[in-house]
Amino acid sequence: MTIHKGRGFACINYPIGMNLGGDPSQALVHSTPDGKFMVALSSIDLGQGMKSVTRQIASETLGVPVEDVYVDTADSDTGPHCMGSFASRGTHRVGNAVIRAAAEARKQMMEAAAEELEVNASDLDTDGAGNIHVKGAPGRSITVAETAIAAQFKQGRTLSGRGIFLVPPSEADPETGDMTPVTCFAHAALVIDLEVDDETGEVEVTEINSAYEVGRALNPKLVEQQLIGGAWMGVSHALYETTEPYYPRRDHGPEDFNTYLQPGPGQITPHHIAVLERPAEDAPFGGKGPGEMCANPVLPAVANAVYNAVGVRCDQLPITPEKVLKGIRANGGARPQGAR
Amino acid sequence: MAKTPVTFTLNDTEAALFVDPGASLVDVLRRGAGDLTPKQGCAQGTCGACTVLIDGVPHLSCLTLAETVQGRRVDTAGGLADGPALHPLQRAFIDGFAAQCGFCTSGMLMAAKALLDHNANPTRDEVIEAISGNLCRCTGYEPIVDAILSAAAQMRGQPALQQGAL
Amino acid sequence: MVAVETYQTVAEAAAGLGEGARYLGGGTIVMRQVNYGDQGFHRIVRAARPERGIGNDVQGLRIGAGTTMADILAHAELSFLHPVAGQIGGPAIRNMATVGGNLFAENPYGDMAAALLALDAQVIMAGGQTHPMERFLADRKHMRGLVEAVSLQRPQPGAFYYRKVSRVKPKGVAVITLAALIRGGEPRVVFGNMAAAPMRAHAAERALGGGVSEASIAAACAVCTEGLSPTDDALASAWYRAEVAPVHLRRMLESGGHS
Repeated sequence: MTIHKGRGFACINYPIGMNLGGDPSQALVHSTPDGKFMVALSSIDLGQGMKSVTRQIASETLGVPVEDVYVDTADSDTGPHCMGSFASRGTHRVGNAVIRAAAEARKQMMEAAAEELEVNASDLDTDGAGNIHVKGAPGRSITVAETAIAAQFKQGRTLSGRGIFLVPPSEADPETGDMTPVTCFAHAALVIDLEVDDETGEVEVTEINSAYEVGRALNPKLVEQQLIGGAWMGVSHALYETTEPYYPRRDHGPEDFNTYLQPGPGQITPHHIAVLERPAEDAPFGGKGPGEMCANPVLPAVANAVYNAVGVRCDQLPITPEKVLKGIRANGGARPQGAR
Repeated sequence: MAKTPVTFTLNDTEAALFVDPGASLVDVLRRGAGDLTPKQGCAQGTCGACTVLIDGVPHLSCLTLAETVQGRRVDTAGGLADGPALHPLQRAFIDGFAAQCGFCTSGMLMAAKALLDHNANPTRDEVIEAISGNLCRCTGYEPIVDAILSAAAQMRGQPALQQGAL
Repeated sequence: MVAVETYQTVAEAAAGLGEGARYLGGGTIVMRQVNYGDQGFHRIVRAARPERGIGNDVQGLRIGAGTTMADILAHAELSFLHPVAGQIGGPAIRNMATVGGNLFAENPYGDMAAALLALDAQVIMAGGQTHPMERFLADRKHMRGLVEAVSLQRPQPGAFYYRKVSRVKPKGVAVITLAALIRGGEPRVVFGNMAAAPMRAHAAERALGGGVSEASIAAACAVCTEGLSPTDDALASAWYRAEVAPVHLRRMLESGGHS
């Protein structure tokens, strides 16, 4: 038996959003009478951090503490329309819609505060701690809560805002094919190290090294979490998961999570990540978001690493021990492609 | 069909319910007792999201016939916190970003509690073994393992472990 | 909807079986069927006090059918079975899954059954009849009555070999399970997931008759899939199983036995 080490590389330019019939998302922001702000969305948070990031964006735009912002989402009956959480578009599209809605609500808030302080709204600023003060005179201030109470009970004014962000559809030029399908791309490069057992075809990933350029990392821990978890899913797609193990035949599909294979906690792979921040011009505070890209480069990198280790080029996923072993047999034995 | 009366202790509270014949414990906890912390994932015993402790020992509540907990003690993630004070495991899961979608979290917490209840100073491999019946689709497991080790350290009176840094 | 009938002992439950009934042990097989609305039965029969635990009888060790995998792991006297029980499910499954249930667990489950077949265990039915594991597994679909316990001789230290080939670590179901008892003159070599039920590899046993050596291992591996009939499933194809079975047999035998 020989264990062959292999290394594979892949890189990716990943479009943010999609280009079908236009790519819009909406947000609505309003204050409660005690100066908290609700952000209403119908953009689904399925664990990727949509609620956390839109809350941060709303807080930053409004100029109020993040603790005073609530995000209500996941109900398309009560939230304004969103195309959905896919195409790595959430942070970019929804974030931009939230900025617009929050900016409008901030304008209302500043005008209400100006009326109370008897100054011009343009002379006011927020301190991010729940106060609105006259620029250069922090002593002349009113709290956001007092402002909201005054707006609600005295001025008869709402502190609210509407936002939509639309990337219109881009038609291809019939002569040249020229088009602008998306407004920005995220980028990544990823290296996989793995070992292949040439008697069984079993593959174990031993290390992942990656660099991701996601615009500004609006929430660095969430970015890290998504990149680590996403790479696990990429390994799983590369080596384990399939609903049709004998594709194109449909038989013998898995019936549970014991036969729908995914790597277990005993197969945690060290993953070293470098996050590069190049804020995108049209992105909310520059953040593009890792999205689907966190899993995608893993698959070709694994395929390349298997080839590097034993000289077997698998072009169908997942790369099962069976496919590797068949490839080794077809080649008359393992053919390592270079010393590691 | 006649229902069967079942009384048991659910997180320090006495529960008395009538259950359908053949009903699983997770179904009765969620629909009968209103404790939504155990999740019904696969209902096949292959995901661990429904993990609860019965007499202190982890069981899959989807594969437990509800009437068999008569007179026994059932602990769920719903009983971990003491009022507003979170259990150290819950705190560590939050601080360590050990959940994304959260569907596995209740089961992970109970699998981890079962470990820490009898092993205050587990090795990394023991933690991995303890959660080996619990699937997570989001995190890649590492933040969960780190969080459990961190909670164990805190419960021993040591400072929380440094979570994996970026 | 099913009806649940609870008897005190396994013998009473056996008498209460009959048309449309399924016996509920640890729940890992039958509750899954209940949850998915299996129409093949409408009565659940269970025993409040199944035989659970480890004792001694004239045969040697006696393990109650209601003994869980966790019970086995808690019992130092059964340390040779710890590699088997310890790789079944996660902790929650091990607190529920029973030895009796494992005898009926279909592929890809049944690791304990494979081990007990290698250990030449006897299956003791509630009525007192006994069946050798080999016959029991061949007939289990038609077996009437309930299993009360299994009995077996403790293997000599280092005589029992076990290897579970799984793609998911630390817990996953088996692509192949291997178990062997190497004792003078009559070794037993068993494969799980290489036929409809755990099965002995008689040709490999003959090759190992003179003991474990580099030459006998090679000879056993060369013939170990004779008489086996692996099939395709979601985990691996019949081809793959047959290809790697000799590899894993060699690795198991070279790595030494458990005690």
